[in-house]
Amino acid sequence: MTTPSLDRQVRELRSQLLVRSWEYRQRHHAHGVWFRFRRVLVDAKEAYAIPRPEAEALIANGSHAEPVGSELQPPKLIIFVPAERVRAIPTARSLEVRLSADLLQAECLALVPFEGVSR
Amino acid sequence: MLEAPGTLVVGSEVPNLLEPGFAATLVVSQDLDIGVPVDGHAALKERLPGLREFEPSADEPSVWTPRSPDLLELNFVGMDSKQDPAEAYVLEDDRLPLLVFGGLALLSPGPQIELEGGMVRLPRLAGLCLEKLVTGRTGEKGERDLLVALALLTLARPADLEELEGLYRRLKPEARHAVFAHLTILSLLGPRDGMPDPRPWRNEVGALLRRLEAQGQKP
Repeated sequence: MTTPSLDRQVRELRSQLLVRSWEYRQRHHAHGVWFRFRRVLVDAKEAYAIPRPEAEALIANGSHAEPVGSELQPPKLIIFVPAERVRAIPTARSLEVRLSADLLQAECLALVPFEGVSR
Repeated sequence: MLEAPGTLVVGSEVPNLLEPGFAATLVVSQDLDIGVPVDGHAALKERLPGLREFEPSADEPSVWTPRSPDLLELNFVGMDSKQDPAEAYVLEDDRLPLLVFGGLALLSPGPQIELEGGMVRLPRLAGLCLEKLVTGRTGEKGERDLLVALALLTLARPADLEELEGLYRRLKPEARHAVFAHLTILSLLGPRDGMPDPRPWRNEVGALLRRLEAQGQKP
């Protein structure tokens, strides 16, 4: 019995594996940026869009910008901060932690880590 | 059919059947995936005449469609424990050809449950969860697979996570990276009808990712 539909599925699976190999080779290169961006967001319990001056003030006070932010174009300032620090910023706008248009459009992101996660 | 030697229920119905009292509240399934070991294929075929409530699909020879709308479609898939998880092949057969998925090599027999007078064998939770996380499907099917992995994680005990960690360590670096990438996607998924809401489980998904990273096996 010929099984064209199953043969087609095998070809599709092998194509997906080729894509997976490509993604693996790209993990430290430009296309891997989405993985690296998602990896940062995994550790965030909450996310806020904040104005640039507030983000720069946080960095001046010892917070560090996540490297992946500068790999995006346009670049983003992505900073992990304790919840109380971000809540003290009256203009901070809460965002859902997912790859939404709102989150992707924010120039400066303040992320609150899950308890016990050190960034 | 489900009592044929080595046969396992392997798809999205597994978390439902692992719930206390088989409550089936976690996932709305579209079909019942039946994993057939390649060395048990002949024995399973002998039981096909007993499958009176179903008939083979004209379009897809490994699918049997129910005669009643109250039953789920059956999707037979092949399992080959000696296969590379990154490969797939077709087991040709005139009555029941099978697509043999390499990822299913991660599965091993787990608990047997009694259901409506019959005995149903499920896979071990850790292997099925890792299979869902390592398999790189795209689009809706991919997201559903990740949410099935989440449903399994909600049921996982510490020993299951230890087992998953052990299986993860045996994967090739490329497959480990796929697990990482899929966990990051799962952590950021929104809710979907008929599937567990991933948002309250984000910390647990992140904890699993960090635990695998801590193995020193970071891809």
